[in-house]
Amino acid sequence: MAKKLKGPQMILANYLDDGRVVFFTEDGGWSPIPTDATYADDEGADALLARANQSTKENLIVGAELIGATITDGRPYPSHIKHVMQAKGPSVRTDLGYQVSTDWEAR
Amino acid sequence: MYAYDAYDHALVKSRVSEFRDQVERRVKGELTEEEFRPLRLMNGLYLQLHAYMLRVAVPYGTMSADQMRRLAHVARKYDKGYGHFTTRQNIQYNWPKLSETPDILDELAEVEMHAIQTSGNCIRNVTTDQFAGATADEVADPRPYAELLRQWSTFHPEFSFLPRKFKFAITGAATDRAAVKWHDIGLIVKKNEAGEIGFEVIVGGGMGRTPVIGKTIREFLPEADFLSYQEAILRVYNEHGRRDNKYKARIKILVEATGIDEFRRQVEEEWQRIKHIPIDVPAEEVARINAFFTPPPLPVLDDNVPSIDDLASKNFVFASWLKNNTNPHKVPGHVNVTISLKPHGGIPGDATDAQMDLVAALADEYSQSEIRVSHEQNLILPHVAKKDLPAIWTDLDEAGLGTANVGLLTDMIACPGLDYCALANARSIPIAQAITKRFDDMKRLQDIGPLKVKMSGCINSCGHHHAGHIGILGVDRKGEESYQLLLGGSGAEDASKAAILGPGFDEHAIVDALEKVVAVYLGEREEGEEFLATYRRIGQQVFKEAVYDAA
Repeated sequence: MAKKLKGPQMILANYLDDGRVVFFTEDGGWSPIPTDATYADDEGADALLARANQSTKENLIVGAELIGATITDGRPYPSHIKHVMQAKGPSVRTDLGYQVSTDWEAR
Repeated sequence: MYAYDAYDHALVKSRVSEFRDQVERRVKGELTEEEFRPLRLMNGLYLQLHAYMLRVAVPYGTMSADQMRRLAHVARKYDKGYGHFTTRQNIQYNWPKLSETPDILDELAEVEMHAIQTSGNCIRNVTTDQFAGATADEVADPRPYAELLRQWSTFHPEFSFLPRKFKFAITGAATDRAAVKWHDIGLIVKKNEAGEIGFEVIVGGGMGRTPVIGKTIREFLPEADFLSYQEAILRVYNEHGRRDNKYKARIKILVEATGIDEFRRQVEEEWQRIKHIPIDVPAEEVARINAFFTPPPLPVLDDNVPSIDDLASKNFVFASWLKNNTNPHKVPGHVNVTISLKPHGGIPGDATDAQMDLVAALADEYSQSEIRVSHEQNLILPHVAKKDLPAIWTDLDEAGLGTANVGLLTDMIACPGLDYCALANARSIPIAQAITKRFDDMKRLQDIGPLKVKMSGCINSCGHHHAGHIGILGVDRKGEESYQLLLGGSGAEDASKAAILGPGFDEHAIVDALEKVVAVYLGEREEGEEFLATYRRIGQQVFKEAVYDAA
């Protein structure tokens, strides 16, 4: 079982049909842009995941998971490199990723 | 090449329609992801970091020009215009849509291709020497035996849920280009003193987090007993292999724990029990399969082709390509051409749809419509007349496929790493790109000579770093990518495990460290001595001092 996360957390999933990486937003929807996402602290994380999993039941997304987030100016961004990669698309084919991926080198 | 019979066609077609139904049920919500996941994996469909990934089998790395054209078509129509050739001689598509995968599989079935058993705890695609049936140095073509293994293992009901995945490799040559000692079962085709065909059977090799070089379980297995003996090994493994811990579930762990002598005894006992069952195929069926692999009727030509020598004397790049990217064919006047998928600064193993189409066209025109994929992630035109080399090289070079680096430092194996793979801890491709850019000088590469660099982005070792003369392993060090350097491995007949040199490096320092290792070799080598021989002669310490003390 994965280690229990500490601190701010957001939810990442893949769309069921094309596998596109998306983040759970406050209005109950999904966005490919991580800074659009909502986030929670330790106490609120499980409830956030439960809300997100409504989309799992509706066959919209797959593999919803809580991931660690870094908060800058009130907006969340994935903190682990794996999830950063998912947010941006392949660093070696920046022409192909679904996400806004103009600043790979800058980070 | 093997051609499907009615059974093969029916089998693959019915599998596609079964999968189409499963996908439809998943999309409608009649199957949960937990229920669907094992079903999609059995059809080679993974969910990776950014999208689904479909792994299509290229049985023992052999395909026709028409099949390659179909792979290009799939890349163009259903993906983003490229595919990635892998160390299991397969191709992976990185962006298919779930709902379109049954259509892809239907289109592949039309050209006798599929994604069956490219994932899951079953017997995976059998790999072999990329020059099989076409090289001057082999005892016999191993592909008919690989085809027998394919037919025997496809949907084998007893071996569909093994403790863990299971990989065969087979070679017919004394020079091992298939890394047979690094496989769950490795087979070497041999002839005994009476001139009869048989196999040395090696068992319990593997990479991953516990690298083990396989051990010979039988020096000479007669051809007639080929399948029943494999079945006996699989039965012992299936019964005693660990299922409680996936990291200890491969046959290598069982063989190590049991000891090769006791394991051999158990296999022998099992074999005696099942030998009478008609597992081994009758001679007529062997002959039928063999007939598909009859060598093409190539004319014997003069090995001396003045026009080639002339071009080579004027053009250094062509001369390098001729030296590095061609291999002697068994028919005089011919060669096997290796098309490097390792352009300097490029992505190892990737090919665009246009490049695949070009390779297919060249195969039609110059290589009996046949193509191979090597486990080193290159493509091969196996039957080329030497006189055609300048025309082929010109076409390849214009398409970005003319890199003359086969067998040299920049002909790196690299897994997709954290750019695509959900298991990876670190990126591989950018490191490979940085290394190949650093060594982008053919004269320097030629001077360094044969050197195999292999890189994986995690401990699962898809990039064969344990078997690299120089291996690189990407790890996650407190959330940062870190790269370990390993030296002294070999995937060839002199198989050896690479040893970790010391603490890891960041993505820039790893390239500098590799360059220091090469500098030590250049300073220490004796006349004509290749990297691995120098390393084995002088040992690790000299390299360690150069890499770390100078840092």
